[in-house]
Amino acid sequence: MTLPLDGVRVLDLAQVYAGPTATRLLADLGADIIKIEGLKRMDITRNFVMPENDSSGDYWNKSGYFLMRNGGKKSLTLDFSEESGGVGIEIVKKLATHCDIVVESFTPHVMKKLGIDYESLKLIRPDVIMISLSGYGQNGPWRDYSAYGMGLEPASGISSITGYEGGDPLRTGISFTDPYSGIVGAGAVLAALVYRRRTGKGQYIDLSEQEAAIPVTGYATMDYAMNRRLPKRMGNRSLWHAPQGVYRCSGEDNWLAITVRDDGEWAALAKALGHAEWTDDPRFVDVASRFAHHDEIDSLIEGWTAGEDHIEAMHKLQAAGVLAAAVLNPKQVLLDPHLKARGFFDRVETVQKDERLIPHQIGARFSDFEPNTARRAPKLGEHNREILGGLLAMTEDEIAKLEENKVIGDEPISAVPLPVMRMFVQWPLASYQNMGALGGIETDYREQLGIASEKSETEGEAK
Amino acid sequence: MPELALDGIRVVDLSQGIAGPYATKLLADLGAEVIKVEPPTGDYTRRLGPFPGDVPDPNKSGLFIHLNGNKKSVTLDIKSDEGRSALAKLIGTADVFVESETPGRMADLDLHYNDLKDAYPNLVYASVTPFGQTGPYANYKGNSLAAMALSGLMYITGDPDKAPLVTGGEPAEYFGALHAWVAILAALEYRGQHGRGQHVDVSWLEALGSADEYNTPMYSYLGAIRRRFYSRHHIPTFPSEIYPCRDGHIVVIGGASGFPLMMAILLEQPELESNPLFQNLWLRTMQWKEFEEILRPYLMQHDWRDLLERAQELRVPFAAVLDPQTLLENEHILERGYFAEIEQPGVGKLPMSGNLFRMSETPLRHSPAPLLGEHNADVVQEAAR
Repeated sequence: MTLPLDGVRVLDLAQVYAGPTATRLLADLGADIIKIEGLKRMDITRNFVMPENDSSGDYWNKSGYFLMRNGGKKSLTLDFSEESGGVGIEIVKKLATHCDIVVESFTPHVMKKLGIDYESLKLIRPDVIMISLSGYGQNGPWRDYSAYGMGLEPASGISSITGYEGGDPLRTGISFTDPYSGIVGAGAVLAALVYRRRTGKGQYIDLSEQEAAIPVTGYATMDYAMNRRLPKRMGNRSLWHAPQGVYRCSGEDNWLAITVRDDGEWAALAKALGHAEWTDDPRFVDVASRFAHHDEIDSLIEGWTAGEDHIEAMHKLQAAGVLAAAVLNPKQVLLDPHLKARGFFDRVETVQKDERLIPHQIGARFSDFEPNTARRAPKLGEHNREILGGLLAMTEDEIAKLEENKVIGDEPISAVPLPVMRMFVQWPLASYQNMGALGGIETDYREQLGIASEKSETEGEAK
Repeated sequence: MPELALDGIRVVDLSQGIAGPYATKLLADLGAEVIKVEPPTGDYTRRLGPFPGDVPDPNKSGLFIHLNGNKKSVTLDIKSDEGRSALAKLIGTADVFVESETPGRMADLDLHYNDLKDAYPNLVYASVTPFGQTGPYANYKGNSLAAMALSGLMYITGDPDKAPLVTGGEPAEYFGALHAWVAILAALEYRGQHGRGQHVDVSWLEALGSADEYNTPMYSYLGAIRRRFYSRHHIPTFPSEIYPCRDGHIVVIGGASGFPLMMAILLEQPELESNPLFQNLWLRTMQWKEFEEILRPYLMQHDWRDLLERAQELRVPFAAVLDPQTLLENEHILERGYFAEIEQPGVGKLPMSGNLFRMSETPLRHSPAPLLGEHNADVVQEAAR
């Protein structure tokens, strides 16, 4: 099958979450991604989410977190720090001549210091498209600020409009700006490719992860610009519709989200809850009166939902014409029949030869091609020989010497002893559960998800 | 005037709301000509405000302006045969068509992709809806709240003793927009090589669900079901939280090298360096309330800017909690020129959001959003030619 980015090669110097999301999307669309990690600078996400929480062996090749954002890429380990004596950086430059796109996520001064900033790369590859993803962008007083994803959702303004009524700003339960700016980065690169196809010209893209997410605050920012009014945090309520909320259902920690967008949907909800008379009740008759009696309506709705299963209640209300959605926990998301029917989760065969369910990184289906999504992530340094010996035509002796000097390799060199890393990589799940940060730990999740372990796979082959 | 990345691309956009219109706004910012086809009453975001002085006016809605800069507006009643055939003609001139109708409705209008693909084989036709074109929930009613709920992101957002919490600003629509934009560009690249258009089916739920950092993998790798727990990650980083300070809020993040010494210096209590809560990450994570007893009182005596600047001097990655005012007045964002000032007819100067990224050869462009039906005459004239 042909894909839109067949034949496009990407040099990927980015790590962690935002940059790797961008290049993962490009990989799914057909690009060949060469991901470079240093033995002393392995992508830190190789330490997160171990199968069965087991950090023995070459655990760095088995991370679920790493797989999600690096499936389908090629891994080249390369120390290109200044201490490496310049061998690594020369290889990066040689590779760049073979690459259409360079992606990096260092703090702003690093690429220039290494002599591989856009101006330098353009001299050796005139039509190169280069993108820098950074916390705060390449210029401005905050450019050198140390930036973690967890800080950038608040810095983009989104947390100021997220939170319970009267409470502090809260972050989303993910590092929100990372996937957000990763997708923005992929789009910017695609636009540059469209331009290059037409004109033959490459260019440089400066993306600030803080800025990329600011548009989500569009309503509130316009309100301040027009009316000097600051938003209030309002929990799950809507600016426009009443009622809207998240209502407790039967069982433990089960909830149903409901929005009533007009009088017709209000009548539908009233009828579905067995109280058709609410339709004409003067307290609820239009959106203004429903806003005025929101607390009262919330108790009436919860009087019904409290006795209902959240997923069944969603189907009942949707069938009655009401906008309702169950608040699914991560396990329920994996088992959801709609996502299943849409093929949202890929069954990926991992390095350790078992299967895991991995969500798509692109939320679109194409009628003329299918993105190449269901691929495992590369082992650290898995493609060293293929890339150095193939693309760069280096001899076996030259490659062996790089290995000897630890410029390349397939085992990380950690600043802390490996046993300490193994302890760190294993998560204290029982303690998390005691704190209340886990809703449960189940041992039969393979059966529940219908995914194969290595053992059953071998049995399958034996038959 | 510099060349723009998408010069020569024409988009006909029937979509309403946030997701479809923001996707085409990004195409328009990059230089595509976007003809927005609205019902005679206008895109419904024209009614959502905010309005200057809270006086409703379909040409002054802040949300609409935010999402529709650089576009042309044409009104058509697609319920009439005349309107429908005018739309079909317009689509015939387009490289890209975008719609956000309930699945099935475009087929009822004889304007589904399958009705058009033979006549316009080069057309990239994008459908942008809450749950996609297929599957059991395809016809369910949806909004950003519903997508947050079904994606699992809501379950893990908020306080453990309270209801799950939605992220403000309708994020599922924006995620849907970004994925639609990327998918349309990918389809244009594909067309550039193969000379064929295609149908692109975008689901906001899947766009948002793709942002699932590690929650479903925690179940399919470990059998662990993650739950909301304040602003906290499981990935061992505590604290990485928003806390109140004297004049607002501050994001406290220790980072790779913040503990124990830098944080002790930052809190101006050097003796904390030897405190077990500062020395041991696991202890701090488990006994977080005790740690917060040390942290919170200090923060309440200091301003966010002072805390931010001193932390960053120590290379500790604290971050600001900006709101619309501090966003618009922030010296860093101003120097970067993120917000572009536009002159919106009838409203005046507004900060348009903006320079989403900087392209060295093909800058993004910024101009006001169209008045309802502003380009009716132009487009009719063009069609008559």
